[in-house]
Amino acid sequence: MATQAPTHAAPREFILALDAGGTMTDTILVKGDGSFTIGKSLTNREDEASSYSESVADAALQIGLDSRTVHTNTSVSIYAGTGMLNTILTGTGRKVGLLVTRGFEHITIVEGGLTYLGQTQAEILHQQLHEHTRPLVDPRNVLGVAERICGGSYFSGSHRAPGEELVPLNEDDVRRHTQTLIDRGCEVIGILFINSFIAPKHEHRAKAVAEEVVAKSDRRLPIVCSSDVAPVSRENNRVKSLLFQCFAAELTREALLAVEGAAREDGYNGRLLTLLSYGGAVNVEYQRLYETMVSGPIGGLMGAQIVANKLALRNVVTADMGGTSFDVGLLVDGRLGLRKDADFAGHRLALPMVALDSVGSGAGSAVWIDEYRRLHVGPDSAGAKVGSCFKYDKLTVTDVNVALGYVDPSYFLGGKIALDRDKALKALEETVAKPLGIDVYEAGRGILDVVNTQMRDLALAMMTSKGYDPREFTMICYGGAGPVHMWGFTDGIPFEDVITMPWAAGFSAFGAAGAEYMHRYHRGFVELVPNGMAHDDKQALADRLDAVFRGLEEDARNEMSAEGVDVRHLTFRYGVYARYIGQLESFDTVLDFGHLKRAEDVDRLVDAFEDMYTKVYPVGARFPQAGYSITEVYLQAVAPKPQPDMREYPLSNHEPAAAAFVGERDVYHAGRWVPFKVWQMGELTAGNVVNGPAIIRDPMTTVVVPPGKRIEIDRFLCLHYR
Amino acid sequence: MATIEEKVLEQGAGRRSLEQMFEERDRLTRESGHYYGITELSLRDADPLKFERFYSRLHTCVLAAREVARYVAASPGGREMGESLWALTTAEGDSLALSLGFFSHTAAFPVAVRYMATEKYDDNPGIDDADVFCTDDGLTGGAPHPGDTYCYVPIVVQGEIIAWAVGLNHIMEAGAPVAGSWPGFCVDTFMDGFVFPPMKTGTKLKQATWWDNLWKRRTRAGTMNILDDKMRLAGCAMVHKGVHEIVHEFGLPYFKRAVREVIEESRRMVMDNIKALMIPGTYTGVAFRVAKYGDMQKIWAQADRDNLIHIRQELSVDGKGRMAADLEGSSRWGQHAFNGYPGGADCSLYLAMTNTFSHNTKVTAGINLTVTSHYPKGCIYNPDNDFASFANIWAQSMAMNSVGFYSINRALFSRGYLEEAFATDGDWDGVQGAGELADGTPYGFTNFEYVGGVASGAFCYRDGEPVTWAEWTQLCNIGNAEEFEYLIPTMFYLGRKTLPGFCGHGKFRGGLGQTSVHWIVDPGRHLGMSRGGAGTAMTTFTATGMSGGYPAPNCFHVTARGTNLQELIDNGGHTPRDAMEVIEYAADGRLKVDKLEVWKYDPPELQMKHNDLWSNATGAAGGWGDPIERPASLALQDLNEGSMKPAFVAALYGVIATQNAAGEWELDAPATAARRAAIRLARKDAKPAAQWWQEERERVVRREFITPIADMYRGSASFPKFDREFRGFWQLPADFQI
Repeated sequence: MATQAPTHAAPREFILALDAGGTMTDTILVKGDGSFTIGKSLTNREDEASSYSESVADAALQIGLDSRTVHTNTSVSIYAGTGMLNTILTGTGRKVGLLVTRGFEHITIVEGGLTYLGQTQAEILHQQLHEHTRPLVDPRNVLGVAERICGGSYFSGSHRAPGEELVPLNEDDVRRHTQTLIDRGCEVIGILFINSFIAPKHEHRAKAVAEEVVAKSDRRLPIVCSSDVAPVSRENNRVKSLLFQCFAAELTREALLAVEGAAREDGYNGRLLTLLSYGGAVNVEYQRLYETMVSGPIGGLMGAQIVANKLALRNVVTADMGGTSFDVGLLVDGRLGLRKDADFAGHRLALPMVALDSVGSGAGSAVWIDEYRRLHVGPDSAGAKVGSCFKYDKLTVTDVNVALGYVDPSYFLGGKIALDRDKALKALEETVAKPLGIDVYEAGRGILDVVNTQMRDLALAMMTSKGYDPREFTMICYGGAGPVHMWGFTDGIPFEDVITMPWAAGFSAFGAAGAEYMHRYHRGFVELVPNGMAHDDKQALADRLDAVFRGLEEDARNEMSAEGVDVRHLTFRYGVYARYIGQLESFDTVLDFGHLKRAEDVDRLVDAFEDMYTKVYPVGARFPQAGYSITEVYLQAVAPKPQPDMREYPLSNHEPAAAAFVGERDVYHAGRWVPFKVWQMGELTAGNVVNGPAIIRDPMTTVVVPPGKRIEIDRFLCLHYR
Repeated sequence: MATIEEKVLEQGAGRRSLEQMFEERDRLTRESGHYYGITELSLRDADPLKFERFYSRLHTCVLAAREVARYVAASPGGREMGESLWALTTAEGDSLALSLGFFSHTAAFPVAVRYMATEKYDDNPGIDDADVFCTDDGLTGGAPHPGDTYCYVPIVVQGEIIAWAVGLNHIMEAGAPVAGSWPGFCVDTFMDGFVFPPMKTGTKLKQATWWDNLWKRRTRAGTMNILDDKMRLAGCAMVHKGVHEIVHEFGLPYFKRAVREVIEESRRMVMDNIKALMIPGTYTGVAFRVAKYGDMQKIWAQADRDNLIHIRQELSVDGKGRMAADLEGSSRWGQHAFNGYPGGADCSLYLAMTNTFSHNTKVTAGINLTVTSHYPKGCIYNPDNDFASFANIWAQSMAMNSVGFYSINRALFSRGYLEEAFATDGDWDGVQGAGELADGTPYGFTNFEYVGGVASGAFCYRDGEPVTWAEWTQLCNIGNAEEFEYLIPTMFYLGRKTLPGFCGHGKFRGGLGQTSVHWIVDPGRHLGMSRGGAGTAMTTFTATGMSGGYPAPNCFHVTARGTNLQELIDNGGHTPRDAMEVIEYAADGRLKVDKLEVWKYDPPELQMKHNDLWSNATGAAGGWGDPIERPASLALQDLNEGSMKPAFVAALYGVIATQNAAGEWELDAPATAARRAAIRLARKDAKPAAQWWQEERERVVRREFITPIADMYRGSASFPKFDREFRGFWQLPADFQI
């Protein structure tokens, strides 16, 4: 197969982006004029290539083409699959052997003790029931190798230096244990040594020794070093990243190659790309494929990046309300917020991940009252059963919206599914109104009040906890239920603007289409910037930092070149993780000025740290007197890639066309019945203004516009809620 | 016409002093039997959904505070291991909403606030909005020990205190003569370290400069402690801001009434939980803890003695769902580090209660109102000397808590909650010290790792697991070796793992305890190290196991001083990975050791040199059921996974196994049956209880007690309740004196 990279691709008409969820595989087919259409298929977990092909064919059909014609004219196809998720959850990955620093043989059993990941506060408190997550490696196949490297301390300069060898690598251990793991049928061997993120020399030497042993055997199994997978501090997280890579990545690669094969057989002449958990896309040759583990929710944020670029929005808060949860993310100065440790299925990884906060309030979330008359929303969710109004046996948030009139029971999915409003009302009455002794519609109002407040608090906390002012942010609402509740979860927050769009339900797949082709490289780096640091020392530090950055750039060029990228067009973004000396957590400090060349650049680095820190914490939390410590250096390398463009339409009158008016219906809003005008989304045009009380209906979603509010449609068909 | 909500809001209006608030709270609660006289949940009933929305707002404040502020920390305990907490309390210090972390420390809040009220802080130094108060004192601040440091920020609206934002965490070094955060040798509170009653340390959410300077001058880890201080305050500032916004949104009258209803509501829920889970009656338990001070020093004659601390708890449960813990009969306070004051003692007592009875409620002071405690004046939890040391109550109060938790477990099992009841233990451990590097750089430290989590005990249907829970923080997390090495420059790990066979045995066994080996490298001019830890299994009475299961084995430390470790490394030899291997390597000569010591009690501060080793083993948990009923397949699995040694399996479980050519262990079924039959037969030789009682009584009458035990009995018998019980059980004459 040719290894043609996206940057080599000739301009073609279409961009394909697919988001394979647990139930459906959604395709966004972006046309040359920036408009797009959506295709769907049922996800086939055993054969993702088939569900990929079906979904693309469905999208092609919407515009009167066949999938071969689309594929032949597609410049790039991006696919976020479910393979790795399934492999981890079902425990069906490769048989892994691990070589670890002697004395740490139980690291995968103990896993730092993190038995509470993913639990609610009530579950965390109820410790009797805590248990460890099932290890991804047979504990008997974790073998110790004598070696020790010094990682350095915050007393650097007064004690042993970072990277100093304390105990030499025992190569006999490596040989003997590698042979044992081969004999036991292991299919891949991982190596994790303490402090390898500072100095990988022992890991790399052990890998070379192990490869010699493998070469002499009749087996061909890969050897993977933790310092190559996740060269960052905290061995308990690093070993999880290593295990994910060993256990699941290669199987996932096989599944992705199968999808790519299907696309190419159907005429596609490029590489299939997939999404990284920290934003960006890579092709399936990417070494650290485990970094694509959690890619589903980030498509929306990348979609927000496209919208932000088009509308020149500086800061964005995203609100994604789907069936089971409400997720909030931030885009500050166009950049995605990241967190360093991703929790996934009971494991904590050393994996940067787009920072998303969630509450379990989705449209399908079950609503219930406990014996103390307390209202609960979730965690049970109706999924495709929608609610009592369709095929679920519990009251859901959608039921409440149907009961109060916000959602039209005869136009759900454009009328493909008929909902039963009487059943929704009955469930609301019996589940909430009667137990609380209140009017059924007041019960509905109260439920929405609670749900909307939880979501609003989450969005506010996401911004204010980082020191941001909502007045400097635009909220972009999406997900099938986002536009339904937009009025509620934005109420009272002085956003600069609130936006949704007709394609809100397919926004994540739309975002995936716009992902950058990007890699991220990290390197552990222990250096201090004490107060009163001499000019010459600063210059020396700047030189050392610059050398590390140049090394990472070289890594990026080599790796991306091997993936077929034309590295002449790479652009780089630079950053460090830094802290006050004595602190344990390092903070992402973006270096807009790029390389450090002069002593003064160290001061600029410190200024960047202080600027970031004081945005998050009160003045009293600053501690510049302590000096600073740099603990990690990172680089983002970005290659050009075809991007979707939002089509621009001529602006028409404020007044919507008569054809757009559907009718009028009563909605129980804010404690009274209010007549809402109903408009058809597809008939509205750029420039139209819809005044509330109104509802804009669409087969995929419903936009609620309360009295006193309005929707203004801009030239890109974005809906501004004002 | 006023609505119900408006009517209830009219009540309780007006500005009051802090002392007046306490008087009203106490009186109304006492007279009505309901918190603050709240007999009807009027606001909740009038609009339950608004009420839930209100609480959701409060809770979000403290959750967000922790998630943001903890990253300011210097200590791993504060940042991710759960050794921190942010809370919102009422004006009287009653908890309203809590973040994750140190839940049971809520017991300390009313102590500190009541002290400020009694001492009329409203007048002097004055309590204004966004002021900062700090304390780590046991007597006046309710702190369990000086390592736990609290920050209080008053939230004042219209001139009246309406709430406090509270942040606390366990700091790295407390500034005592014995370095670390749990000084193990203290004669009185003047050796506890940097102890301060509630004091105003800042205004407008900013600490005074002198406060930072105190940390620098009075502790050995000034930079870290200042950062932790900033962490506590950063979270409080977020809560402070959030609550002001909530008051603005809901109105002050609603806030003042609703917070009381929140607490009263959760009090009722806790009572319901107790009724559902417990059997009314009296549950008694005892535990002991060694404080070995004899022949340690020549300065403080009054402390030159070995102590056996007696912990005695009688837990009474009534039919209405109320519980009372009576600690009468526990030891008197002594000239050692292991005393506490009532607030700190409650912090331990409520651990089990919160886990079991609060987890499904709004977690508030409701638990403190439902479960009451009694510590008679003069006892180890309520000294009648205000200068008693309280440096490390946690060393013995985990045993006190475990006694209560065992009572609960017995009730849960009896009621049929089989999946809930387990062998409880909490044998935490920490290594601490201070030193001076070769260039004169001083440092102090605590390695918190095994405060972060311990094994879970066995259930009646399954084994426990290693490092699974941390009863005192909920957030089980032992941190990362790489970070502890970053913080403590002279200690390098040679091992961090579980210890085979280190568990309470049984039909189902407890989780294996954990062990580390710390290699001392270039300690420079000086390095003194000691240990703080629970020692819950120093005697077998706490970690008793359940239904015939074995108790958890006790924690122990091994020090190897004067070794040839570097030579061993240079020659390509392997180094010991755990506490038992240190002993084994020394015994068979692989490691030459000038001074090998095994510490089954707290080692004193030891001077450590280059290439010395310090190893600890701790955190094991008890078993459930008779070991000879353990399924042989599980015993074989233990052997094949290296969790158990063959000798253990044969001797304790009666399982005989042999290794095949591939090294796998296989069952010898006939030999196993014979071995188990022999064990059963041997048990019939046990002494009848009546004979045992008679023989023991003779020893009591003859006063055959070693000195620490005689001292212990005398102290406990100075409380009438224990005196009656002791004399009654042994049927002693009225003139008998211990």
